[in-house]
Amino acid sequence: MNAPKRNSGKVLLLSLSVALLTGGLAGCGNSKKEAEAGNNPDAGGQVKIQFAGWGDPSEKEVFTKLIQSFEKANPTIKVDYLHIPSGDYVGKMNTILAGGNAPDVLYVPDGDFGRWVSQDLLLPIGDLVKNSSIDTADMWASGLDRYRYDGSANGQGELYALPKDIGPHVLYYNKDIFSKMNVPFLSAEKPMSMEQLLDTAKKLTVSKNGKTTQYGMGPVWWEDFVLAHGGKFLSDNKQEFTGNSQETIDALQFAADLTNKHGVVPSSAALKDLNDSEMFKTGKLAMMVSGRWMVPEFRKLGFDWDVAPLSGKDWGGISGSVGLAIYSKTKHVEAAYKLVEYLGGPEGQREQSLMGFSIPSFKSMASTDVFLQPGQKPEHAEVFIQAVEKQVSGPWTALPNAKWYDLLAQGLAPMWEGKKSAADVLNELKPKIDAAIKEGNSGLFK
Amino acid sequence: MKQREYLWAYSFIAAPILGFLLFAFIPLSYSVYVSFTDYSGYQTPVFNGGDNYVKLVQDELFWKTLRNTLYSALSIPIGMICSLGFATALNQKIRGIRFFRTMFFLPTISSVIALTLLWKWIFNDTYGLLNHLLELIGIQGPAWLSSERWAMPAMIIQGVWSGLGINIVLYLAALQGVPRSFYEAAEIDGANGWQRFRHITVPCISPTTLYILITAIIGALQDYPRFQIMTEGGPNYSTTTIVYYLFQNAFRYMNMGFASSMAWILGFIILAVTLLNFYFSRRWVHYE
Repeated sequence: MNAPKRNSGKVLLLSLSVALLTGGLAGCGNSKKEAEAGNNPDAGGQVKIQFAGWGDPSEKEVFTKLIQSFEKANPTIKVDYLHIPSGDYVGKMNTILAGGNAPDVLYVPDGDFGRWVSQDLLLPIGDLVKNSSIDTADMWASGLDRYRYDGSANGQGELYALPKDIGPHVLYYNKDIFSKMNVPFLSAEKPMSMEQLLDTAKKLTVSKNGKTTQYGMGPVWWEDFVLAHGGKFLSDNKQEFTGNSQETIDALQFAADLTNKHGVVPSSAALKDLNDSEMFKTGKLAMMVSGRWMVPEFRKLGFDWDVAPLSGKDWGGISGSVGLAIYSKTKHVEAAYKLVEYLGGPEGQREQSLMGFSIPSFKSMASTDVFLQPGQKPEHAEVFIQAVEKQVSGPWTALPNAKWYDLLAQGLAPMWEGKKSAADVLNELKPKIDAAIKEGNSGLFK
Repeated sequence: MKQREYLWAYSFIAAPILGFLLFAFIPLSYSVYVSFTDYSGYQTPVFNGGDNYVKLVQDELFWKTLRNTLYSALSIPIGMICSLGFATALNQKIRGIRFFRTMFFLPTISSVIALTLLWKWIFNDTYGLLNHLLELIGIQGPAWLSSERWAMPAMIIQGVWSGLGINIVLYLAALQGVPRSFYEAAEIDGANGWQRFRHITVPCISPTTLYILITAIIGALQDYPRFQIMTEGGPNYSTTTIVYYLFQNAFRYMNMGFASSMAWILGFIILAVTLLNFYFSRRWVHYE
């Protein structure tokens, strides 16, 4: 009695699902065709490419303007600018890349570069650059080299992106506090030694009834400290963690002591829940470490400030960077590269530098008023050039798989809290980090 | 005629069934497969047997994050007691009760990100609200979020607070469903306030308690965005929950296969806990 009905139901279900599936497939087919039609030159010979990036409203404005002038100069190319909020960018892009239909040109944070390039998601652009107007000899080497990949580690081999920007760390300082406390201004040429830094920070720290109301220095960037004082994180072949060498241990112990022993840097490991630039702006910090991107904001401050090189011998500072890369499966290599060339080349760099937040990728441009901007703070803008000449990329860019670095950054906590010495912490971490390097970066060990 | 009705019935249920197949069943089955492969998320998966599961059991961080997750689930009993307390208070007939009910529900409809940033400030050791209040009563508060010992308690406090709104509403509804006649009868028998609460209110609202318990446990086992924003899992992985670690493996270490195996283990843990919950609920949940 029931059987035939059930069958008819099944048939219906089946036919419906078939209809839905084929409908869905047909839909996919259509949209694909459309996309291709949009991508291929149409009657007017126009190509449409997509460009994805993030940035605050001012950066968005600059890039909208840049893209407009790019389109004017290249009437056959139309650019669709996809602006993703910075907090979501990497997560969204991971999903888009896994989906297999990513924007033709995209921002690549230097920390994520290794992962994406090792998965064949980025197009090698070495030859394109060679045959274009970009003069790589005029570019900061460390800015460019972090976007190289040789099949196992970053930093050498084929080029996969042009830097959109590079921002090495420098030491910002509040001149008003220095004058008030009779501390001489910092030299714009000669970096302080560790001892001089501690001494200066002590003079600038003010405590009342056991509470510190003004700190000599902002939270330290431990990577800066280690590298500035001759320490290393990885061996030359990158297969081994060398962060338990004496130099690294000394540098980190010194950095931890700044807080725990000398009290010249705020809070224990409050790097995370403490916004140093807010403290600097309200005069609670006399010195702080940051990059060029703070300049537009600090120009609005009511007190006088300047920049100085970071402490350490012959050292420029760690720099963060964002690259402009081309998606490996793009159908429009030529048009995409034209955009990369424009944004990463002189025109794009000029506009960004004029806004005050970045240092041009080109040495020749950095020494002009486009960057130095006389009459505007900071007085010693050349400190940034000094820094960019000697900068290195952060350890987070060294390997495609970042687990080793996460283990290190997390594992330092007992040292920041003053519960364990730097030596103990690093020696305990060494075997775990070595294992993570090996497991996550099999390409290195082939 | 009947045939036709069946036809309609099936066509109506076809949409959700197909939806389930397409958007849940197929992806789920695929992730079972992926959990047995070496898969970066961008390239073709390569079968590697049970390697991921073996690695998982040996992974120190997996066990640590699992323990963290269970620790963070302490917010559930604390949160339930608090919300029952507040709900009882909000069940009184006093002036401006609507205002208070709205205030308590407000966190539920606010953005997680905004609230988390707010709590980041509350927990700031130097300028935060919490340590300021502690100072008023003579206690030197810890560096909440950057201390290995205090980061998780801080996250539990925040977890309790953020769950209050919805649980209070659920409890309020349950409290109002308790028949007045029960209380009247008990009063005549001479039961005091606590006895009435203990022997009438608690059993009568027990189905709601079970519901909150189950959803809260599932929620807590899957919690991670607020950890990502407030502590980034630190210091020293003390606030890395299992789903946060899973997320890192999938999207930071390109290990989608390993992450999938973790997801399945977590799925089974959730299933087991929920079944146990239902099993034991027979002893303490009373349906009318």
